Amino acid sequence: MEILKISKNDLNSFIDKKIEEKKERVIGVVKKGSHFVFGDLEDSQDLSLDYDVTMLPPKKYFQPQKEILLKFTPKKADSYEALNNCDPLVIIGAHYYDLAAIYMMDRAFSEGERDEHYMRKREESLLIGLYPTKYFKYRFAKSVVRDQAYKVADLMMVDLGDDYVIEVVSQKGKEYLNGSNIKENTYSLQEIDDAKNRVKDDQKIPVPIELIPDYLGKNHAHPAWEHFGEKCFSCGSCVLVCPTCYCFDVRDEIELDLAEGKRIRVWDGCMLEDFAVCADGHNFRKEKGSRFRHRIYRKGKHLPEKYNYFGCVGCGRCQYSCSADIAGPVKVIKYMEENKKGGENV
Amino acid sequence: MCENCDCSSDIQKNSIYLPEIATLVNKKEMTSVDSFFEFELKGRSLGHLPGQFLEISIPGIGEAPISISSPPSDENKFEMVIRNVGSVTNAIHSLNKGENIGVRGPFGTSFPMNNLKGKNLLFVTGGIGLVPARSAILYALENRDDYKDITILFGCKDPSQRLFTDEIEEWKNRKDITFIETVDQKGDCDWDGNTGVITTLLPMVKMDPAETYAIVVGPPVMYKYVIMSLHDMDFSDKRIIVSLERRMKCGVGKCGHCQMDNIYVCQDGAVFYYDEIKHLKEAI
Repeated sequence: MEILKISKNDLNSFIDKKIEEKKERVIGVVKKGSHFVFGDLEDSQDLSLDYDVTMLPPKKYFQPQKEILLKFTPKKADSYEALNNCDPLVIIGAHYYDLAAIYMMDRAFSEGERDEHYMRKREESLLIGLYPTKYFKYRFAKSVVRDQAYKVADLMMVDLGDDYVIEVVSQKGKEYLNGSNIKENTYSLQEIDDAKNRVKDDQKIPVPIELIPDYLGKNHAHPAWEHFGEKCFSCGSCVLVCPTCYCFDVRDEIELDLAEGKRIRVWDGCMLEDFAVCADGHNFRKEKGSRFRHRIYRKGKHLPEKYNYFGCVGCGRCQYSCSADIAGPVKVIKYMEENKKGGENV
Repeated sequence: MCENCDCSSDIQKNSIYLPEIATLVNKKEMTSVDSFFEFELKGRSLGHLPGQFLEISIPGIGEAPISISSPPSDENKFEMVIRNVGSVTNAIHSLNKGENIGVRGPFGTSFPMNNLKGKNLLFVTGGIGLVPARSAILYALENRDDYKDITILFGCKDPSQRLFTDEIEEWKNRKDITFIETVDQKGDCDWDGNTGVITTLLPMVKMDPAETYAIVVGPPVMYKYVIMSLHDMDFSDKRIIVSLERRMKCGVGKCGHCQMDNIYVCQDGAVFYYDEIKHLKEAI
């Protein structure tokens, strides 16, 4: 992998040039109040790469909160027309765990029936990743992410003070750098590695992730599910901020003039009470504990068994956003470990 | 929609959410809430297998998964019985002949009719479970020589909920199959047939469990009790086939609604050998 460097000033000039060119949407991390979000950049000065975590992950650019799949004339089934918006975009500064989540999303939307609405957006995107420079108390990404980021990143940035070291992961990424004042790397691999690992995670999943699918399988009846279910408000915050949650609902909307309508895809979540309710009213996950277990199983058992990667990337957003302070997988597995009966999994 | 690219033809060609069009050609009321519909697909035959389902949509109302009730056919027509329980099914009930619906599919697994050849078939159906089961029943009757004894059990809440009553009369009169039905409660209806839940019919079945496949389709509450009774009759789990209901939105294994443990019922099911799913905690 080719390693280059660019000074922070040169990077800003380059980004301004890209914004000016308007060949693609230039998206980066920007400050919003006391938080950070991914947003369209109008000026490189708005870019805030020294951030702890963004409120939402970048998945919103590939699976928007509300996405038009079809348009139609109401009640005229011969009027269905598929739509997509895959205008090219570049995302600057997504942390490596958010890229790991995009890898998981890519697998979900490309394997089996290929979801063209998602995949075309991804194909028209360029991802510039970043190693975190700021501590976030809920993050435990180091204990759950392996090499996934490099399967989707086009470029990876490492903060070395006045410069960013740029790892060139894809040809597309290399071509994107044309016209920048990029230079040969002068930092040692040790310096780069130290910079990648400068920010430590306080939290760690207490069971090795390779063992978690079996561990959860043996703990279907663990009191943890009822314990956390009792405290859960079923608000769905944990799944809405999760970078690897992609469940959705499909709804029809009609314009006020009744002349046009659209079928939209919106984010949905398995923690919401009616997620598994059938037409006859039967709720297959009526108890809050069963929904809580399903969410943890999906991250720790079902997705790993399907994709060979842990389904949680350790961003910590769920724990941060949870009003009941229960959503984080570290907290859940710790509780399960601390509440074994007679040293055995119950 | 894109400002800088021309993707509209691609997405029109490749979207898995874009329905085809089918036209309502026949409609008949069956109960106060269930009606029979025959649709004609434009330009092709459906190419489905018994037990599969479609995503049916009315633009402006929405989309819903509905079982196909007719057996495979080379013709463009297919049949469904739809219970009026929500906004989409209500809109379908309001359709007039000649009006169109959107159709995606067929989706899901099917009753393994080839694997069942040479065996006895025991259909255990409850309520609108008869609707998807009928696709397999009619297939078996069309290919009667491929199967040994065929017994159909049907149970519903009360006599007013009975489906396919004309066909049931034919099935009762056929010498080459056995049809037995029951109602949970007689209610105010004039009914001199069996009364009691579906499991009360099973002791009347005299079939060698080693030579028989039981095909069980009904409301969620029914499975546990029917399977317990089948076990009492010495049916092995490999000889029990179930079709499971779940909430579904996409039909293509993405939206997550139908997930049952690690299985997407819309793609991995809805038809399963019980043996395949009995270990799943969320299955039955």
